[in-house]
Amino acid sequence: MITFPGPVSALVTLPVPADRDGIARVLGLERFARDALPDVRATIPAFNRLLIESSPHSWDPEEVEALLTAAAKECIRGTPPEPETGEPVSLPVCYDPDLAPDLADLAAGKGLSVAELARLHSRTAYVVLATGFAPGFAYLGDLDPRIAMPRLPTPRRRVEAGSVGIADRRTGIYPAAGPGGWRLIGRVPPALFADATERISRFRPGGTVEFRAIDRKSYQAECG
Amino acid sequence: MSPHGVVDRPGPFCTIQDFGRRTGRRAGLAPGGAMDQRAYLWANRLLGNEPAAPALEVTLGGFALRFAVDTVVAITGEGCAATLDGVETGTWRTVRAQPGQLLRLGYGSTGMRTYVAFPGGLEATTAFGSASAVVRDGMPGLLGRCLRPGEPLRWHAPDYRCPVRRLPDELIPPVPDSLSLPLVTGYEWLDFAAADRRRVFDAGWTVDPASDRTATRLAGPALNTGPRVLDSTPLVDGTVQVTGDGSPLVFMRDRPTIGGYAKLGSVDPIALDTLAQARPGTAVRFVRAEPQALRSALARRESFFGIGQAH
Repeated sequence: MITFPGPVSALVTLPVPADRDGIARVLGLERFARDALPDVRATIPAFNRLLIESSPHSWDPEEVEALLTAAAKECIRGTPPEPETGEPVSLPVCYDPDLAPDLADLAAGKGLSVAELARLHSRTAYVVLATGFAPGFAYLGDLDPRIAMPRLPTPRRRVEAGSVGIADRRTGIYPAAGPGGWRLIGRVPPALFADATERISRFRPGGTVEFRAIDRKSYQAECG
Repeated sequence: MSPHGVVDRPGPFCTIQDFGRRTGRRAGLAPGGAMDQRAYLWANRLLGNEPAAPALEVTLGGFALRFAVDTVVAITGEGCAATLDGVETGTWRTVRAQPGQLLRLGYGSTGMRTYVAFPGGLEATTAFGSASAVVRDGMPGLLGRCLRPGEPLRWHAPDYRCPVRRLPDELIPPVPDSLSLPLVTGYEWLDFAAADRRRVFDAGWTVDPASDRTATRLAGPALNTGPRVLDSTPLVDGTVQVTGDGSPLVFMRDRPTIGGYAKLGSVDPIALDTLAQARPGTAVRFVRAEPQALRSALARRESFFGIGQAH
């Protein structure tokens, strides 16, 4: 489905699930759009959608719609192309109730120990389904359904940098301190987010992210 | 390196801005850049600068700058009364300044934001291709913060000279008491109830005092919050999002790149300049946009100012 959210932009929604396969198809469509459409200025892939922004000098909505409709049909057929996403990102996480205010309650509510919850969170190789919200934030999926929970009804005014949160079937890391509504279950040493350039370029849509559990002592050591 | 000028008082919110960050949208970087692009582009144009040269964005006056060199600046935009050593200079023009002279931008009667451009552009830190400060994210333009009293400034061509240049009155954009914002409907528009879709064009709102560089919030009748959006959706400039309490907001330059609430569409990108100058309490209505007319106007602006080439 193609809509036009602005005078020089198109938003394509592929009729596929927002998962590893779905984002790979969206990235395939992104490559096609960048090659086939004139004067593409920005593209944002996110979940099963692609936003394309172009130039007012060359934008013909009928032509764009025809091209993208045909391309979208191709992109949902067959095996999606392998995305160019670089090496998997591996991050240490300390699952300690002192560092993660929702960890104990969430584990208790799910009938799990903290260690079991940590194991279920860190055993999945996640895929980056979208980047955004804040610079360097990545929406990772899919979370094990046994530990999935909706976001907090009221966001916290302050979430510490490096906090690992979950919301429904997504998980992610707050790269900087700020308000946030995801349930917090762990902490990545914030030193890993100190460099702005590294922070912003770490996650790429379609890429793989793994977590490895570390104890409090190792966490403190990484904090320096 | 001795400064060419020193900020005596920055006022409530003074930042370095340029035409915004064209790259990094995919990684979640806010576009940033001058809130009123038209006023900002004219300031650089008056000095013969590159169109996207870094300049100062002053919010609601309260600003003073002491010059250390014989130089020229350009002042455009609204929201202030400009004086040089106490003598009114007017705005939308270039001003010649001598060492020791004090440029003041006092609180004005209309508008929100004034631009001060410097010959050759301000010397400023850049990140991801832009000097624009996004204070929320700590992006450059003096490390993503507001200017402080005593801040030293340098610009690239302090010796530049030109006869006084003024923008002709007929080209100075008016600051209207009420705004009609052309709305391109899109996103979840069709999923809103028919009554809400009618209300969008029949009702009126006012600019809420909680507005900032991220979003202009609108106070007035609540809309049904529309469909639940499961996964966040990529945003365009001027996206109109309906938040949890049913109030619409218009995303401005420091907006996020994706958003999770239901959206009505987006406002004409050029109308965002006028909206950026609307004080709290200004009446706002939405009118149906004709996208082809918006594209033509955007294309004319890009050609005139020499901006917007692909990146």
